This record gives sequence, structure tokens and C-alpha cells, in this order.
Amino acid sequence: MSLGLIVLLPFFGALLPGLLVRAGRDTAAIGAGAVTLLAAIGVALNAPEVLRGGVVSQSLPWLPQAGLMASFRMDGLGLMFAGLILGIGLLIILYARHYLTKQDPFGKFLSFLMAFQGAMLGIVLSGNVLMLLVFWELTSLTSFLLIGYWRHLPEGRQGARMALGVTASGGLAMLAGLLILGHVAGSYEIADILAAGPAIRSSELYLPALILICIGAFAKSAQFPFHFWLPQAMAAPTPVSAYLHSATMVKAGLYLLARLWPVLSGREEWVWLVAGTGLLTMCIGAVVALFKDDLKGLLAYSTVSHLGLITFLFGLGTKAAAFAGVFHILNHALFKAALFLVAGIIDHAAHTRDLKRLGGLMRLMPLTFLLAGIGTLSMAGVPPFNGFLSKELMLEAALEAGHAFGPLIPVAAGLAAAFSVAYAGRFLIHGFFGPVRHDYPEYPHDPGPGLAISPLVLAGLAVAVGLMPEPIAGGLVRLASGAVTGAEIDTHIALWHGLTPALGVSMAALLGGAVILAAYRPLARGWAATPRPEARLIYGQIETGLRRGARALTAWLLNGALSRYLGVFLVVTLAAGVWALGGAPGPETRPMLAVPPGVAVFWALLVLGSACVVAFHRTRVLALVAVGIVGLMVSMAFVYLSAPDLALTQISVEVVTVILMLLALNFLPKRTPAPEGAGPRAWQMGAGVIATLTGLGAGALSYALMRRDFAFEPISDYHLANSVPGGGGANVVNVILVDFRGYDTFGEITVLGIAALVIYALTESLLGGPASRRLIAWTPDQARAGDRHPLMMVVASRVMMPIAVLVGVYIFLRGHNTPGGGFIAGLVMAIALLMQYMASGFAWAQARQKIYYHVLIGLGVLIAGFTGIASWAFDRPFLTSAFGHVHIPLLGDAEIASAMAFDLGVLLTVVGSVMLALASLSRIARRAGGEVLSGLPAPHDDDAEDRR
Amino acid sequence: MELIWEIAVSAFLVLAGIFALVGAWGLVKLPSPMTRLHAPTKATTLGVGGVLIASMIWSIGSHGVLSFHELLITLFLFLTAPITANFIAKANLHRAAPPEDLPTLPEGQLWAHQSPGTDTSEAAFEDKETHRGG
Repeated sequence: MSLGLIVLLPFFGALLPGLLVRAGRDTAAIGAGAVTLLAAIGVALNAPEVLRGGVVSQSLPWLPQAGLMASFRMDGLGLMFAGLILGIGLLIILYARHYLTKQDPFGKFLSFLMAFQGAMLGIVLSGNVLMLLVFWELTSLTSFLLIGYWRHLPEGRQGARMALGVTASGGLAMLAGLLILGHVAGSYEIADILAAGPAIRSSELYLPALILICIGAFAKSAQFPFHFWLPQAMAAPTPVSAYLHSATMVKAGLYLLARLWPVLSGREEWVWLVAGTGLLTMCIGAVVALFKDDLKGLLAYSTVSHLGLITFLFGLGTKAAAFAGVFHILNHALFKAALFLVAGIIDHAAHTRDLKRLGGLMRLMPLTFLLAGIGTLSMAGVPPFNGFLSKELMLEAALEAGHAFGPLIPVAAGLAAAFSVAYAGRFLIHGFFGPVRHDYPEYPHDPGPGLAISPLVLAGLAVAVGLMPEPIAGGLVRLASGAVTGAEIDTHIALWHGLTPALGVSMAALLGGAVILAAYRPLARGWAATPRPEARLIYGQIETGLRRGARALTAWLLNGALSRYLGVFLVVTLAAGVWALGGAPGPETRPMLAVPPGVAVFWALLVLGSACVVAFHRTRVLALVAVGIVGLMVSMAFVYLSAPDLALTQISVEVVTVILMLLALNFLPKRTPAPEGAGPRAWQMGAGVIATLTGLGAGALSYALMRRDFAFEPISDYHLANSVPGGGGANVVNVILVDFRGYDTFGEITVLGIAALVIYALTESLLGGPASRRLIAWTPDQARAGDRHPLMMVVASRVMMPIAVLVGVYIFLRGHNTPGGGFIAGLVMAIALLMQYMASGFAWAQARQKIYYHVLIGLGVLIAGFTGIASWAFDRPFLTSAFGHVHIPLLGDAEIASAMAFDLGVLLTVVGSVMLALASLSRIARRAGGEVLSGLPAPHDDDAEDRR
Repeated sequence: MELIWEIAVSAFLVLAGIFALVGAWGLVKLPSPMTRLHAPTKATTLGVGGVLIASMIWSIGSHGVLSFHELLITLFLFLTAPITANFIAKANLHRAAPPEDLPTLPEGQLWAHQSPGTDTSEAAFEDKETHRGG
């Protein structure tokens, strides 16, 4: 099975439970389990190649331009991790099926779990560091969902947020580090980076890359000082904790350290940073774990400690240590997952995880006791369990490092081992030994097979690895650590190494642990009395501070004053413009044109009109009139500059805009109130200065552009040359709209239609809510005139209607060759209809409306779309146009282009959109009072209905 | 183009210019909105009409073709100018004319521009209904 498919399988599987859960929780679990099993089979199919020492890889181009390949890669390390992820995932699905209650949405849980599984698989099978990072952040996201699964619990939400905050921001640091790494190596492929080890180590960017990558890995693997999120994440359901904190999520950081071990290790900084952090974390975690009363809290800190142990081993940088680290990853996954599941069983049975309320469970839950015994003894490193083997290797490595870096290292490692014995013993002794109590919240009992099988399998494996390390685990661990170090590993694991110093330390740790446990009570009192910084609280303070800062910044930037936003935009634009063009824009290559007196007069009027808008902007109707005048002047300018299409468009858009704005103004204050909090006079003057400067800047930019030739050949020549032979139309503007850039136009009419529908929807919701009551109670702010629809106007507009529509048709038909086209024709027809609304009243016009405007919009978009699709029938790309000449009797030769049909779509959409906007506004008017809709008498009886 | 055509075109253009000038002058000088209204609507109509006639004569004289475009423009002008004037007058009456300045009407009747909503008497309400109906 291809590696990409293996990675994708769980993501597909994430879709299944949502569908299957309706057929029962068992079905959903089987579905998810089957997909996991399938992925595991896929991994197994690739295993022989890896076991022979090869690397399975697959590469698909994804964004090759950006050096991003969807490449997958599986070597020994990837194989071990993939096996752990899928194997333990399968057991977790089985366990969760019986652990979660009926009230918990099981389908959602499985979907999250499968998505998380896919993300984890992606990390360990990625062949490209950028893709690895994508999966890395995906695990952060999906683990957020899993940890916050019980979203009704505040601790769950809090823990999930903290986990996301810490691991995702660590991921950001890691992104920077990996980018540096890829930059130095010249490739983002893991294989290339591994090959570029010496170059990276000798690069001066080594240290920043190392620190950034370590921040990411430490955040994920809960290393000091980022360890605090892991205990908080214990609010998750126990199967999630077991999965995330034994085999997967937290091991992702370790995986990364192992993956980049050949590249990054070998310099002293690596040892100090990685081994130092690991050792510190190992000790802190072990000490804190001892004093946790919550079973899961104890396990959480023990996980932190063991992760520190593995980090320490990788940090030492020797092959033997790396081998021990890889071996401990496997061992820790086995016994820690089993222990989490046991904690879940106890919680499930006794309804508490508090060690102070437990004790004496040995007789009540013998099977659980057996499982817990195997797990804890393995965790404590007691022979003959698997934990003992890797701890021996760890102590050996620590002793060896002691020769090089001083005796502190083995002492600290031994101390951590002793504490680990103590907290493991506490789990077992305080939980299971002692007399049977009578005050358990619920009478405990051994679990059914559903809950027991998964920890049994894990504990069985832990024992088996402990007893027969070589046949079961030796080959795989050698292979995986070989992949880590990039060299042959010939270490053999054996239960009995002979009387070595490591065995001595180990025995001392066992004894020490027993002593610590015996003195638990006074120690716990002392611990409770010692003040210590709580990383969780510090993080909370930082988070709160950041949030406050962000809120303050947002409130300061976005205070709701539009003038301020505009001011920021304009100042930045102005600054950018001055910065970009402030120098020399090059010599002026075009001559100044003569300014005829008529043009100068028009220009002066234009300036006057604009000045009027500024002067009278408080009186809105007057400002609107001034805006209309400016628009008319602009269309005159288009006429003068031989752009009749633009002029026609401008003039019709101007008319429609002014009418619609007048309608809206009906319901708005007629005067703009003085803005609140506009600030002192100086501030207002400053705003004026900014506006003026921006206007002058835009003018200067236009002037500079028009006095110079284009830097590149403009495309207009192509359009001019190809309009008739290519598009079959002499009107270049129209041919561009419907042919050359027809796809743009198609998008634009779609947007136009959507905008009209949004206006309609807004009006609809407005009329449904409290605003409706306000409208009914609304009284006009001006006295209403009586004769709203004067007879002369009504008669004239009705007489004009057919003529105006005919003009529209005429403009439409001739549009391909002479000024006109669907857009302008649509506007003209819309104006013809608008006139009816204005002259005869909304109700009168509405009652005579035969086709819904929605239908017009839809029809328009559909016609345009089908015109484009039609070209597929001739094996041409979308919107290829065709044209030809036909002879129509009586009318003579006519040119028919397929673009005409497209243009018809444009026309219908424009008419529908404009009219829908108008009709929406008129609905508000109708709601606001009957007076507005009183029309002239209609010849039919429906007039009575109109008036209502 | 023959001299006679040129003279005719020039005459109409000058005439149109005089009308336009008078219209503009009246717009500035006339005392009240109701009187000022007449200046642009009437005088300017005649002024533009003169230009249009000149244009028609010119196209006959120089091309020998009778142009109908100008007739259309005239038609539209004749349609829009009175309606515009009507609206301006109505708006002015509505906004600026005090009711007591208007000529008295028979009891219970209103001028067309007055809103029946302001009078709440029974008679006014009935009148409103008939007004609507009519």
C-alpha cells in the first residue's frame, strides 16, 4: 500500500463514525477500527522492505515551485512509530467503546480520534519537513478537540486551550527553525537534510535553528518549562490521555529530536540544551509526580519525567544513548498506556481517582491489581519487566556521560530513578494495598472484557519484552535506532548484564525509592508547606496579559470611527506612494495636450461639484445632488475622450444610484449629525490635510502615469487587433466584456446577483425582527405631500415605458459592433422600470410585476453559464465564442455571435439585481406606512389589495 | 453650403443664444421661486429648440438629408420640461407656501399638494378616500 494512502486512510476513517454512529456505537467503533486495521496492514506490507534495511519512499509533486513535495518516507524509526500509533490506536478504540457512556457523543469522539491518528501518522511518515509541520499543527488542532471533548467541563476547555496554545506556538517556533534548516540544507526533503548534516553543524545558523526546533519539540513533548500543559490536559477522557500521552502526541517531539539527531547532535550546544533540559525535566517530573493524589495527575507528571528521560538520552549524543532512548520510547508507550487504562478502569469502577480515597483495591479488583502491578513495576524499573531494561541502559549512559560532564549527571539520574520508584510504588501501594474501605463513592469491581482486553494486551507485551527482549523487540529497536543514528547498531539487550555499576545505581534507586515512600507522610507535609512557582499560573497570567493587550490594541485601533480607519488607510497609502514614487519617476515621454476652453469649463464645473459635496455634505439631499452632478460631468468627460460605452454606462449607473440613494434617504436622517468624539479642532484639521494630500497624491500619480509611456507593451493593442477577427465585433469594449474576458464578466454578474440577493435577505430579516415594529411605528421626519403621483408624470412615464424598453433592446442588439451591450441595456431597462415605480407607486408597479426578480437574476446567470458550457459540445474550452452571418428575411444580413446569448444573461442579471434592490427598499417603505404606496387607481380590483 | 442656409442656421443659433441668455438671466434675477421657475423651463426650452432647428437646417443644407434625431430630442424636451416644472412648483408649494396664502377652497377640499393626513376630521378622511379614488 502506498504511504500516502496509509496516511490518508485515518482521515477518510474520520468521516465514517459520523455516518455509522446512527447504526449504533458498536458499528461506529468497528468502522473506525477497521480503517485503523487497514492502515496497520498497509504499514505491515511495507515492513519487509524496511526490515531489510531499506527506506520506503513516495513522492508526489504538490507545490514543486515552492519546494513542497507531498513526499512520504518510512524507515525503521517511522515503522516503529507507525506501529505504535496504529496498534495502540486500535486498543484505544476498543477501550473507549466501553469507557464512554451513552451520554457522550461517540461518533464525534471517534472522528476526532481518527483525525488525530491520521495527523500523527503524517508526522512520522512525512518525507518533507514542511509537510511534517502541517501534520504537526494538525495534531495540535485535533488534540485540542480531543482534550476538550467533554466541553461541558471548564477544566476540559481550559486544558484544551492551554495544550493548543503551548503546542501550536511551539510549532510556530519550529516552523522558523525548520525553514532555517531547509535554507542551509538547500532542500526541505528529510533525506536531503539528513545528508547535509556536516554543512548544517558548521553553519552559523546552527544555533538559532537548534533553539527554535527545540522549542517546538519541547513544547510538544512537555519538557520544562513547557511541561505544565500536559497535566492540565488530563481533563480529557482517559482513553484520550492514554493515547495522547503514552504513544502519540507527546512522542511527536521526541520523534522530531530522533529524526534530526544525525543533523543536529554532535555539537556541545546540543548536549547542553537537550540533555540538560531532559535531565531537569526528568527530576522535576519525578518529584512532583510523587505528591500528586490524582491517579491521572501522578501518571501525567510521571510521563513528563519519562519524556525528560528520553530527551536526556537523545541529548547525550552517543549511539548507545540513542539506542536506549528509542527502546524506552517503545517501553514507555506500553506500560504507560496500560497504566492510564488502569486508572480509567479504577475511575470507572470506584468513581474516584483520588489516592486518598482509594486503597485496598487488591481484593476487590484482583485483575486490575495484576495489570497495575505489571505497569507500575515496569515504570519503576524493577526486573524482569521491560522498564528495567531501558532504565539500565539509561543509567549506563548517564554514568558514561558522568565521565565527560561531571558526576552531577549520574547523581541526578539516580535521584530521578529513586523518585520514579517511589511514585510508582505509591500508585500501587496507596491504591491497592491496605484494608478494604467502606467509603468508596461507588463499590469497585473488576471490569468486563471490553475494558480489560486493551490493558491486558499492553501489560502482556510489557512482560514479554521484559522477559525476551531480543526476540521480540531487539531487531525493531536496532532498526529504529539505526535510522536515528544513521549507523549500524550492534547493541544487544539482555536481562542480565552482569554486575555493572548501572545495576548498582539501579539497586540503590530501588532502595532509595522504598525509603522515600516509607517517609511519604512527613515529605508530603513538607512539600505542601514549600512555596513553589506554578508554571500553569504563570502561563495563565501571560495569556491574560496578552489577551488584555490584544483587546486594548483592538479597541484602540478599531474604535468604530470609520474616519479613523480611512485615515490609517490613506496615510499608509500616501506613505507607500511617496516612498515608491517619491524619487524620480523617470523622464516625461508624452507631450502635454492642449486644453480647449470648453474642457477647462467642464473641469472647473467638476471641481466645483466636488467642492459642493464637501461643503454641503451635512445636508444629505444636497450632497446627493452634487454627487449626481459630478457623475454627469464624468460621463461628459468620457464622451469627450471618445469612450461612448463608458459614458452610457456612467450616465445610467448615475441615474440608478441617485434614485436608489434617494429611496434609502427617505428613511435616514436628512442631515448628517456631527460625529461624536471627532476630537479637537486640530484633529479635524489634520483629517482635512490627510484627505487633501491623498487627493493631490492620486492626482499626481495619474499625471505622472499619463505623461509617460507604459513600461510594458499594453494589452489594448492586442484587443484592438483581435476584436473583429477573433470576437466578431467592432465594439472592442463589448468584445472584451463578453469574449476576451468573458469569464471575468461571468464572475461579476454572479457577484452582482449575490449582492442583490443579500440586500433582499437583509431586508427580509429586517422586516422580521424588532426593526419591523419600529418601521410600523415610524413617522416621517418631514411633512408628506399629498399628491405623491401627479397625473402628468404618471401618464408620461407610462407612455415612455415601451419607448425606453425599445431603446434598451436597441442598445443591446447593436452592442457588439457599436456602443452599447448587455450591461448598459440592462441598466436602461431597469431605469424604464424604475420610472414606473417612481411615477405610479410601489404597489401599483409591484402588482403588475409578472416575473420575480430573483428569477431574472438566476435566469441571467444560468443563460450566461450555459452559453459558456455550450462550447464544450464543440470540444472547445469554456466560453469560447463563435459568430457567423445569417440572412434574415426582410431585415437582411445580420451577424449573430454566441456572445449575444452571454450578453443576454448579463442583461437579465443587471435588470434583476437593480430591481431587486429597489423592490427590497420599497418593501421597507410599504412596511413604514400605507401613504407611500398609495398609487393611482388601477383598472383592476387588486388595487384594493395594494392599498392594504 | 449656400449662403441662404448659412444665414438661416446662424439666425436660429443667435435666436437660441438669446433665449438661453434670457433664461439664465431670469434664473438669477427673478424674485421668487415660482417666477424663477419659468426662466429655465420656458426660455431654455426655446433656446435648445432653436439649436435643434439650426441643426436640422444645417443637415439639409450641407448633406441634403432630413434629420429626425432633433425631432426626437424636441419630443423628449417637451415631455420632461413641463413635468420638471410641475414637480418644482409642487415641491415649492409643499415646502414654502403657507396654507393661508393660498386661495380659499370650498369646505372640505384640499389643494392637491396638501397632505390629507394632517387633517383628522371625518370630512377630510372621506375626502382622502375620494381623493385617492379619483
